[in-house]
Amino acid sequence: METPETPDEELVARTQAGDARAFDRLVVRFSPRLYGLVYNMTSNHEDTNDLLQEIFAKAYRSIKGFQGKSSFYTWMHSIAVNMAINFLKKRARRMTMSLDDVDNGIANDPEFIEATSDFDPRHQANLGELQKKLNEAMMKLSEEHRAVVTMFDIQGMPHAEIAKILKISEGTVRSRLFYAHRQLQNYLQEFITT
Amino acid sequence: MSPEEQISKLLRLKRHEQPPPGYFEDFLRGFQARQRAELIRRPLWEIAWDRMASFAPAFQVPRMAYATVVALAVAASAMIVVHPGTSVSSGPLAANRSTLSLTSPQPVTIGESVPVTMTSTGSPSVHYVLPTRPVSYASSRSF
Repeated sequence: METPETPDEELVARTQAGDARAFDRLVVRFSPRLYGLVYNMTSNHEDTNDLLQEIFAKAYRSIKGFQGKSSFYTWMHSIAVNMAINFLKKRARRMTMSLDDVDNGIANDPEFIEATSDFDPRHQANLGELQKKLNEAMMKLSEEHRAVVTMFDIQGMPHAEIAKILKISEGTVRSRLFYAHRQLQNYLQEFITT
Repeated sequence: MSPEEQISKLLRLKRHEQPPPGYFEDFLRGFQARQRAELIRRPLWEIAWDRMASFAPAFQVPRMAYATVVALAVAASAMIVVHPGTSVSSGPLAANRSTLSLTSPQPVTIGESVPVTMTSTGSPSVHYVLPTRPVSYASSRSF
Protein backbone atom coordinates (compact mmCIF):
# COMPACT_ATOMS: atom_id res chain seq x y z
CA MET A 1 0.00 0.00 0.00
CA GLU A 2 1.41 3.35 -1.03
CA THR A 3 1.15 6.21 1.46
CA PRO A 4 2.74 9.65 1.48
CA GLU A 5 4.99 8.31 4.25
CA THR A 6 6.26 5.36 2.25
CA PRO A 7 10.00 5.33 2.95
CA ASP A 8 12.38 6.24 0.14
CA GLU A 9 14.04 2.83 0.41
CA GLU A 10 10.78 1.03 -0.31
CA LEU A 11 10.07 3.23 -3.33
CA VAL A 12 13.60 2.66 -4.56
CA ALA A 13 13.26 -1.13 -4.20
CA ARG A 14 9.98 -1.05 -6.11
CA THR A 15 11.53 1.07 -8.85
CA GLN A 16 14.42 -1.37 -9.10
CA ALA A 17 11.85 -4.15 -9.51
CA GLY A 18 10.35 -2.29 -12.48
CA ASP A 19 7.56 -0.22 -10.88
CA ALA A 20 7.80 3.12 -12.73
CA ARG A 21 5.02 4.62 -10.58
CA ALA A 22 7.20 4.23 -7.50
CA PHE A 23 9.79 6.38 -9.22
CA ASP A 24 7.10 8.96 -10.00
CA ARG A 25 6.52 9.20 -6.24
CA LEU A 26 10.22 9.84 -5.75
CA VAL A 27 10.13 12.55 -8.44
CA VAL A 28 7.20 14.25 -6.68
CA ARG A 29 8.98 13.96 -3.34
CA PHE A 30 12.38 15.23 -4.45
CA SER A 31 11.65 17.74 -7.19
CA PRO A 32 10.88 20.77 -4.95
CA ARG A 33 14.09 20.34 -2.99
CA LEU A 34 16.23 19.62 -6.04
CA TYR A 35 14.60 22.51 -7.85
CA GLY A 36 15.84 24.84 -5.09
CA LEU A 37 19.31 23.36 -5.28
CA VAL A 38 19.61 23.61 -9.07
CA TYR A 39 17.86 26.97 -9.36
CA ASN A 40 20.14 28.60 -6.81
CA MET A 41 23.14 27.27 -8.69
CA THR A 42 21.97 28.31 -12.17
CA SER A 43 19.79 31.37 -11.39
CA ASN A 44 17.74 30.55 -14.45
CA HIS A 45 14.34 28.89 -14.52
CA GLU A 46 14.60 27.35 -18.01
CA ASP A 47 18.00 25.86 -17.33
CA THR A 48 16.75 24.54 -14.00
CA ASN A 49 13.79 22.86 -15.64
CA ASP A 50 15.91 21.18 -18.34
CA LEU A 51 18.57 20.14 -15.88
CA LEU A 52 16.04 18.74 -13.42
CA GLN A 53 14.57 16.56 -16.19
CA GLU A 54 18.04 15.26 -17.03
CA ILE A 55 18.86 14.65 -13.37
CA PHE A 56 15.78 12.47 -12.82
CA ALA A 57 16.31 10.70 -16.15
CA LYS A 58 19.86 9.85 -15.13
CA ALA A 59 18.74 8.72 -11.68
CA TYR A 60 16.11 6.44 -13.27
CA ARG A 61 18.67 4.91 -15.64
CA SER A 62 21.17 4.36 -12.81
CA ILE A 63 18.82 3.28 -10.04
CA LYS A 64 19.51 -0.43 -10.55
CA GLY A 65 23.09 0.29 -9.55
CA PHE A 66 22.03 2.08 -6.34
CA GLN A 67 23.07 -0.28 -3.55
CA GLY A 68 21.94 1.76 -0.56
CA LYS A 69 25.45 2.47 0.74
CA SER A 70 24.30 6.06 1.24
CA SER A 71 20.75 7.33 1.65
CA PHE A 72 18.74 7.86 -1.51
CA TYR A 73 18.56 11.53 -0.52
CA THR A 74 22.37 11.80 -0.55
CA TRP A 75 22.61 9.82 -3.80
CA MET A 76 20.04 12.05 -5.57
CA HIS A 77 21.70 15.23 -4.34
CA SER A 78 25.10 13.96 -5.51
CA ILE A 79 23.75 13.39 -9.01
CA ALA A 80 22.08 16.82 -9.00
CA VAL A 81 25.12 18.76 -7.76
CA ASN A 82 27.56 17.03 -10.11
CA MET A 83 25.31 17.52 -13.12
CA ALA A 84 24.68 21.16 -12.18
CA ILE A 85 28.42 21.84 -11.80
CA ASN A 86 29.18 20.20 -15.16
CA PHE A 87 26.36 22.14 -16.78
CA LEU A 88 27.62 25.44 -15.34
CA LYS A 89 31.16 24.82 -16.55
CA LYS A 90 29.85 24.12 -20.06
CA ARG A 91 27.57 27.16 -19.93
CA ALA A 92 30.42 29.39 -18.81
CA ARG A 93 32.43 28.29 -21.83
CA ARG A 94 29.46 28.74 -24.15
CA MET A 95 28.18 32.14 -23.14
CA THR A 96 28.01 34.81 -20.53
CA MET A 97 24.57 34.68 -18.99
CA SER A 98 22.65 37.89 -18.66
CA LEU A 99 21.70 38.39 -15.06
CA ASP A 100 18.78 40.51 -16.20
CA ASP A 101 17.13 37.17 -16.93
CA VAL A 102 16.98 36.15 -13.28
CA ASP A 103 13.60 35.44 -11.77
CA ASN A 104 12.24 38.60 -10.15
CA GLY A 105 8.85 37.16 -9.39
CA ILE A 106 9.22 37.04 -5.63
CA ALA A 107 9.81 40.75 -5.05
CA ASN A 108 6.11 41.13 -4.25
CA ASP A 109 5.85 37.90 -2.29
CA PRO A 110 4.56 38.82 1.24
CA GLU A 111 6.80 36.21 2.85
CA PHE A 112 9.83 37.68 1.12
CA ILE A 113 8.87 41.23 2.13
CA GLU A 114 8.41 40.15 5.74
CA ALA A 115 11.73 38.31 5.73
CA THR A 116 13.54 41.40 4.49
CA SER A 117 11.98 43.71 7.09
CA ASP A 118 15.05 43.46 9.34
CA PHE A 119 17.28 45.05 6.75
CA ASP A 120 18.14 48.66 6.21
CA PRO A 121 14.90 50.57 5.40
CA ARG A 122 16.65 52.35 2.55
CA HIS A 123 16.58 49.07 0.71
CA GLN A 124 13.02 48.06 1.53
CA ALA A 125 11.74 50.07 -1.41
CA ASN A 126 13.64 48.00 -3.90
CA LEU A 127 13.44 44.36 -3.02
CA GLY A 128 13.80 43.46 -6.65
CA GLU A 129 17.21 45.06 -6.63
CA LEU A 130 18.18 43.11 -3.53
CA GLN A 131 17.19 39.87 -5.17
CA LYS A 132 19.10 40.76 -8.30
CA LYS A 133 22.19 41.67 -6.30
CA LEU A 134 21.95 38.42 -4.36
CA ASN A 135 21.79 36.42 -7.57
CA GLU A 136 24.64 38.38 -9.12
CA ALA A 137 26.77 37.82 -6.04
CA MET A 138 26.01 34.09 -6.12
CA MET A 139 26.93 33.87 -9.79
CA LYS A 140 30.31 35.43 -9.10
CA LEU A 141 31.24 32.50 -6.87
CA SER A 142 32.92 29.44 -8.38
CA GLU A 143 30.58 26.50 -9.05
CA GLU A 144 32.02 24.53 -6.12
CA HIS A 145 31.64 27.44 -3.67
CA ARG A 146 28.14 28.17 -4.94
CA ALA A 147 27.13 24.56 -4.39
CA VAL A 148 28.27 24.68 -0.76
CA VAL A 149 26.58 28.02 -0.09
CA THR A 150 23.36 26.80 -1.69
CA MET A 151 23.24 23.65 0.38
CA PHE A 152 24.30 25.22 3.66
CA ASP A 153 22.84 28.73 3.72
CA ILE A 154 19.83 28.36 1.47
CA GLN A 155 18.81 24.75 1.98
CA GLY A 156 19.97 24.50 5.58
CA MET A 157 21.87 21.23 5.23
CA PRO A 158 24.42 20.29 7.92
CA HIS A 159 28.13 20.24 7.06
CA ALA A 160 28.30 16.46 7.38
CA GLU A 161 25.55 15.92 4.81
CA ILE A 162 27.18 18.35 2.35
CA ALA A 163 30.49 16.54 2.81
CA LYS A 164 28.85 13.21 1.94
CA ILE A 165 27.12 14.64 -1.13
CA LEU A 166 30.27 16.26 -2.48
CA LYS A 167 32.54 13.42 -1.29
CA ILE A 168 34.86 15.87 0.45
CA SER A 169 35.81 16.32 4.11
CA GLU A 170 33.81 18.45 6.52
CA GLY A 171 36.89 20.64 6.87
CA THR A 172 36.82 21.37 3.15
CA VAL A 173 33.13 22.23 3.39
CA ARG A 174 33.83 24.72 6.20
CA SER A 175 36.78 26.20 4.35
CA ARG A 176 34.76 26.67 1.15
CA LEU A 177 31.98 28.31 3.15
CA PHE A 178 34.41 30.67 4.83
CA TYR A 179 35.89 31.90 1.55
CA ALA A 180 32.50 32.07 -0.16
CA HIS A 181 31.04 34.17 2.68
CA ARG A 182 34.00 36.51 2.54
CA GLN A 183 33.52 37.01 -1.19
CA LEU A 184 29.78 37.57 -0.70
CA GLN A 185 30.46 40.20 1.97
CA ASN A 186 32.47 42.15 -0.57
CA TYR A 187 29.78 41.92 -3.24
CA LEU A 188 26.91 42.76 -0.88
CA GLN A 189 28.57 45.44 1.22
CA GLU A 190 25.77 47.95 0.67
CA PHE A 191 23.26 45.57 2.34
CA ILE A 192 25.41 44.92 5.40
CA THR A 193 25.48 47.21 8.42
CA THR A 194 28.70 47.29 10.39
CA MET B 1 24.61 41.07 14.11
CA SER B 2 27.98 40.15 12.60
CA PRO B 3 28.60 40.54 8.85
CA GLU B 4 28.80 36.74 8.61
CA GLU B 5 25.35 36.37 10.18
CA GLN B 6 23.96 39.08 7.93
CA ILE B 7 25.23 37.28 4.86
CA SER B 8 23.62 34.06 6.03
CA LYS B 9 20.37 35.91 6.65
CA LEU B 10 20.48 37.52 3.21
CA LEU B 11 21.10 34.15 1.60
CA ARG B 12 18.17 32.61 3.45
CA LEU B 13 15.95 35.05 1.55
CA LYS B 14 16.59 32.97 -1.51
CA ARG B 15 14.52 30.17 0.02
CA HIS B 16 11.47 32.17 -1.03
CA GLU B 17 12.34 31.91 -4.70
CA GLN B 18 9.90 29.30 -5.93
CA PRO B 19 8.67 28.30 -9.38
CA PRO B 20 5.16 29.33 -10.47
CA PRO B 21 2.21 27.44 -8.91
CA GLY B 22 1.47 24.10 -10.56
CA TYR B 23 5.04 23.80 -11.81
CA PHE B 24 5.76 20.50 -10.06
CA GLU B 25 2.60 18.77 -11.37
CA ASP B 26 3.57 19.84 -14.88
CA PHE B 27 7.12 18.76 -14.23
CA LEU B 28 6.06 15.19 -13.48
CA ARG B 29 3.98 15.05 -16.66
CA GLY B 30 6.90 16.44 -18.66
CA PHE B 31 9.23 13.88 -17.14
CA GLN B 32 6.88 10.99 -17.95
CA ALA B 33 6.55 12.19 -21.56
CA ARG B 34 10.32 12.40 -21.83
CA GLN B 35 10.72 8.87 -20.47
CA ARG B 36 8.29 7.50 -23.05
CA ALA B 37 10.08 9.36 -25.84
CA GLU B 38 13.43 7.98 -24.67
CA LEU B 39 12.00 4.47 -24.67
CA ILE B 40 11.09 4.81 -28.33
CA ARG B 41 14.51 6.19 -29.25
CA ARG B 42 16.44 3.42 -27.48
CA PRO B 43 18.82 1.39 -29.67
CA LEU B 44 17.75 -2.16 -30.57
CA TRP B 45 20.65 -3.84 -28.80
CA GLU B 46 19.67 -2.15 -25.54
CA ILE B 47 16.08 -3.35 -25.83
CA ALA B 48 17.30 -6.87 -26.69
CA TRP B 49 19.63 -6.87 -23.69
CA ASP B 50 16.85 -5.75 -21.35
CA ARG B 51 14.53 -8.44 -22.68
CA MET B 52 17.18 -11.08 -22.18
CA ALA B 53 17.78 -9.83 -18.64
CA SER B 54 14.07 -9.94 -17.84
CA PHE B 55 13.69 -13.37 -19.47
CA ALA B 56 16.49 -14.80 -17.34
CA PRO B 57 16.63 -12.70 -14.17
CA ALA B 58 19.44 -14.83 -12.76
CA PHE B 59 21.59 -14.03 -15.77
CA GLN B 60 24.08 -11.47 -14.57
CA VAL B 61 27.59 -11.12 -15.88
CA PRO B 62 29.93 -10.18 -13.05
CA ARG B 63 31.76 -6.93 -13.67
CA MET B 64 35.15 -8.62 -13.42
CA ALA B 65 34.21 -11.05 -16.18
CA TYR B 66 34.45 -8.31 -18.80
CA ALA B 67 37.88 -7.31 -17.54
CA THR B 68 39.03 -10.96 -17.55
CA VAL B 69 37.85 -11.49 -21.13
CA VAL B 70 39.60 -8.32 -22.29
CA ALA B 71 42.80 -9.29 -20.45
CA LEU B 72 42.76 -12.77 -22.02
CA ALA B 73 42.19 -11.31 -25.47
CA VAL B 74 45.11 -8.90 -25.01
CA ALA B 75 47.37 -11.71 -23.75
CA ALA B 76 46.43 -13.95 -26.70
CA SER B 77 47.09 -11.13 -29.18
CA ALA B 78 50.45 -10.45 -27.56
CA MET B 79 51.42 -14.14 -27.85
CA ILE B 80 50.54 -14.15 -31.55
CA VAL B 81 52.49 -10.96 -32.20
CA VAL B 82 55.59 -12.12 -30.28
CA HIS B 83 55.59 -15.70 -31.79
CA PRO B 84 54.18 -15.33 -35.31
CA GLY B 85 55.37 -18.87 -36.40
CA THR B 86 56.50 -22.06 -34.73
CA SER B 87 60.17 -22.89 -35.22
CA VAL B 88 61.09 -26.43 -36.41
CA SER B 89 64.75 -26.19 -35.58
CA SER B 90 64.38 -28.91 -32.96
CA GLY B 91 62.16 -31.88 -32.25
CA PRO B 92 61.03 -34.80 -34.41
CA LEU B 93 60.20 -32.61 -37.40
CA ALA B 94 63.78 -31.37 -37.51
CA ALA B 95 65.04 -34.91 -38.10
CA ASN B 96 63.05 -35.19 -41.32
CA ARG B 97 63.89 -31.70 -42.42
CA SER B 98 66.16 -32.77 -45.24
CA THR B 99 63.67 -35.25 -46.65
CA LEU B 100 60.71 -32.88 -46.29
CA SER B 101 62.49 -29.98 -47.87
CA LEU B 102 61.06 -28.52 -51.02
CA THR B 103 64.59 -28.61 -52.43
CA SER B 104 64.66 -32.37 -52.02
CA PRO B 105 66.65 -34.11 -54.80
CA GLN B 106 63.97 -36.81 -55.07
CA PRO B 107 62.21 -36.78 -58.44
CA VAL B 108 58.64 -35.68 -58.76
CA THR B 109 56.76 -37.37 -61.54
CA ILE B 110 53.74 -35.69 -63.00
CA GLY B 111 51.35 -37.30 -65.42
CA GLU B 112 51.30 -40.93 -64.35
CA SER B 113 50.70 -42.94 -61.21
CA VAL B 114 53.83 -43.66 -59.28
CA PRO B 115 53.89 -45.85 -56.19
CA VAL B 116 55.20 -44.39 -52.95
CA THR B 117 58.66 -45.81 -52.44
CA MET B 118 61.07 -45.98 -49.55
CA THR B 119 64.56 -44.51 -49.84
CA SER B 120 67.64 -46.50 -48.99
CA THR B 121 67.76 -44.79 -45.59
CA GLY B 122 64.28 -46.05 -44.79
CA SER B 123 62.60 -42.72 -44.69
CA PRO B 124 59.79 -42.12 -47.10
CA SER B 125 60.54 -39.97 -50.09
CA VAL B 126 58.01 -37.48 -51.28
CA HIS B 127 56.14 -38.21 -54.50
CA TYR B 128 53.24 -36.30 -55.88
CA VAL B 129 50.83 -38.92 -57.19
CA LEU B 130 48.51 -37.60 -59.84
CA PRO B 131 45.81 -39.55 -61.62
CA THR B 132 46.38 -40.50 -65.22
CA ARG B 133 43.10 -38.99 -66.30
CA PRO B 134 42.15 -35.44 -65.45
CA VAL B 135 39.35 -35.08 -62.98
CA SER B 136 36.23 -33.66 -64.51
CA TYR B 137 32.81 -32.90 -63.13
CA ALA B 138 31.31 -33.50 -66.53
CA SER B 139 29.58 -36.81 -66.90
CA SER B 140 31.57 -39.32 -68.95
CA ARG B 141 28.36 -40.97 -70.16
CA SER B 142 26.62 -39.77 -73.21
CA PHE B 143 23.06 -40.56 -74.11
